[in-house]
Amino acid sequence: MIKAAIVGCGKVADQHAQQIHRIRGATLVAVCDTEPLMAQQMAERFKVERYFGDTSDMLEASKPDVVHITTPPQTHFALGKLCLEAGCSVYIEKPFTLDAGAADELITLASGLDLKVTAGHNALFTPAMIRMRDLVRSGYLGGHPIHMESTYCYDLGDPAYAHALLGNSGHWIRTLPGSLLQNIISHGISKIAEFLTTDSPSVIAHGFTSTFLKTIGQPDIIDEARVIISDQGSTAYFTFSSQIRPSLHQFRLYGPAASLLIDDDHQIVIKTDDKEYKSYLRYFIPPFLYAKQYADNAIGNFRKFVTSEFHLPFDAGLKTLIEAFYASICNSTPPPIPYRDILLTAKIMDDIFAQMKT
Amino acid sequence: MSTSTPRMNAPGRYSVDSSAETALRNEAATAHIIPAEATILVTGANGFIGSRVVRALLLRDFRRIRCLTRSTTASQSLAVLRKEFGADRLEVLVGNLLSPEDCLRATEGVSVIYHLAAGIEKTFPGCFLNSVVTTRNLLDAAVRQQGLKRFVNVSSLAVYSNAKLRRGAPLDETCEVDTALAERYDPYAYAKAKQDAIVLSYAENQRLPYVIVRPGVAFGPGKAKLPGRVGTDTFGLFLHLGLNNRMPLTYVTNCADAIVLAGLTPGVEGEVINVVDDDLPTSRHVLRMYKQQVRRLISIPIPYRVFYVLSHIWEAYSRWSEGQLPPAFNRKTCSAYFKGNTYSNKKAKSLLGWHPRVHMGDALQHYFAFARKSKGSK
Repeated sequence: MIKAAIVGCGKVADQHAQQIHRIRGATLVAVCDTEPLMAQQMAERFKVERYFGDTSDMLEASKPDVVHITTPPQTHFALGKLCLEAGCSVYIEKPFTLDAGAADELITLASGLDLKVTAGHNALFTPAMIRMRDLVRSGYLGGHPIHMESTYCYDLGDPAYAHALLGNSGHWIRTLPGSLLQNIISHGISKIAEFLTTDSPSVIAHGFTSTFLKTIGQPDIIDEARVIISDQGSTAYFTFSSQIRPSLHQFRLYGPAASLLIDDDHQIVIKTDDKEYKSYLRYFIPPFLYAKQYADNAIGNFRKFVTSEFHLPFDAGLKTLIEAFYASICNSTPPPIPYRDILLTAKIMDDIFAQMKT
Repeated sequence: MSTSTPRMNAPGRYSVDSSAETALRNEAATAHIIPAEATILVTGANGFIGSRVVRALLLRDFRRIRCLTRSTTASQSLAVLRKEFGADRLEVLVGNLLSPEDCLRATEGVSVIYHLAAGIEKTFPGCFLNSVVTTRNLLDAAVRQQGLKRFVNVSSLAVYSNAKLRRGAPLDETCEVDTALAERYDPYAYAKAKQDAIVLSYAENQRLPYVIVRPGVAFGPGKAKLPGRVGTDTFGLFLHLGLNNRMPLTYVTNCADAIVLAGLTPGVEGEVINVVDDDLPTSRHVLRMYKQQVRRLISIPIPYRVFYVLSHIWEAYSRWSEGQLPPAFNRKTCSAYFKGNTYSNKKAKSLLGWHPRVHMGDALQHYFAFARKSKGSK
């Protein structure tokens, strides 16, 4: 039995608690929030034995094996350090830390204490992303990816909501070094980081404010980003947009022999083979084969739904990631997200924000 | 029946018909627990009901009304009122109830607080934070004010449990509050019940002079969507679940009027008062008129017992699938909203001297006119 605790009882914490309850051999023993009312309501709804207003008190009294940190990012480093020093492994929601330096320090500390950390990059573990990874491992691409495209959009919603969120200059999202982008883009960047071969890729970033945000009087927030990333073996484009419709979450891998499209919004994986058809057949046969692939995706998704294995993709990804992380703690095996990928994601993000400031 | 037409050209004005406004102005001299010069705080003053509360106070000649808003740019309705009644009578304070400092600023020197700000998010933590934590902060600041005469907590009829009531039995202020609202999968009702509990604890421990107002379903210009108690729109079909149930409706200006009186009427401290209008229509009547006057839609009538069984199945599936589909349809919600109870406004009338100024027939016409203009989309 692994004893889990959650620090920070906001919206994301609910998702963590739901998935922890689904994992056999795991139990949520305590929740904590600096606002005790928030901790109390969460403990009541999820029938958690104890709730606290202070993390040190919780660590001392409940002695969890693992702590999920779901607080605003500004507190991730300090809380992560506190939990590690108390002997707990730590799951830290995205963005892992405010910068790569802090990420490195936490990972070094965890390694020195023989504990585990992971980042909340659950978008890497949606059912479609897992199928993609299986195909890549099977050699489908025919080698290392030559190029990648990661598109990660975020719908700011109606103007009133966007205004409520972004109009408050004191909101924790606004006070992040990378502002709105920092809270979101790690999902899209981490997909690219997984396939980069060097630890210092070159990054060229361009950011700007959408007309929408300018219209509602928020001209100082960057909500559109276009990034080129390259290393010795691969190149990648990353697109973040609040305005593209539909609000896409896609990842494309282009290999030397074949390519893959992963559509996380619809849990679709499409294979593009390097197969030529003679003359006009190329206009008739491939569309049918693509149609069959889409139909197979639909059937596969429906089968999973019927057998209760589907859930919402990000929830499914969260459960898979938490389960794998717990297994790595219990079995002393490597964590599901290599530390190198967490650090690389943080470093690329640092580069992006640095360029957007200049 | 009044023949006046609703005015929908400007925010903050479209809800009060002229005859109702005239009556309010004539009633301005009625005895209140505070003088016209007293400072009144309204939270949620930009909201659907809140903007009408501010207007009703201004019509009663109150001269120092303080409105707490999250941002100035979003307070269009208040700007209209400032222009109409004079900026000196309406102070707009930008702040956040999650900030204890802002709460202290907002409550400084106030005599009556109308607390309408509430979390309307879809998540439990979001609703709880913006209804309960905010209320606690406001109360912490409010009890420091020596001159506070009344704290009006605007709650909801949704907090009651009708589990022990038969179909058709009256649901009134004597009914118990549901203590397991999380199982209803209704964050708003859950947070409202917790908010009420916080108010009651401050009343007990800090002698807070309070009144809790629990409106039914507030409707009117500004909200175009059919009330959820009629039914639910799903996959292009409208499931008509209310059928012949009486709907606990309250027209937004009537509701605002009751809330205002709850803050001004002597001798009602510690009371819980439900607010619904007279002549409550059936769900079938509202839906028929909506189809005639707003837009055509295909509706399927679902009897209560059938929906109850379907809700049970959904709930069981949700449990079996570990939340693959959330328990949005469940027996508790089905019972709370579609069992078919009756509602009373006797207490509001007897304690507050309130009566709905806009008759139900006119109110529905105003609502349908707005919904028609908005194409039923909001």
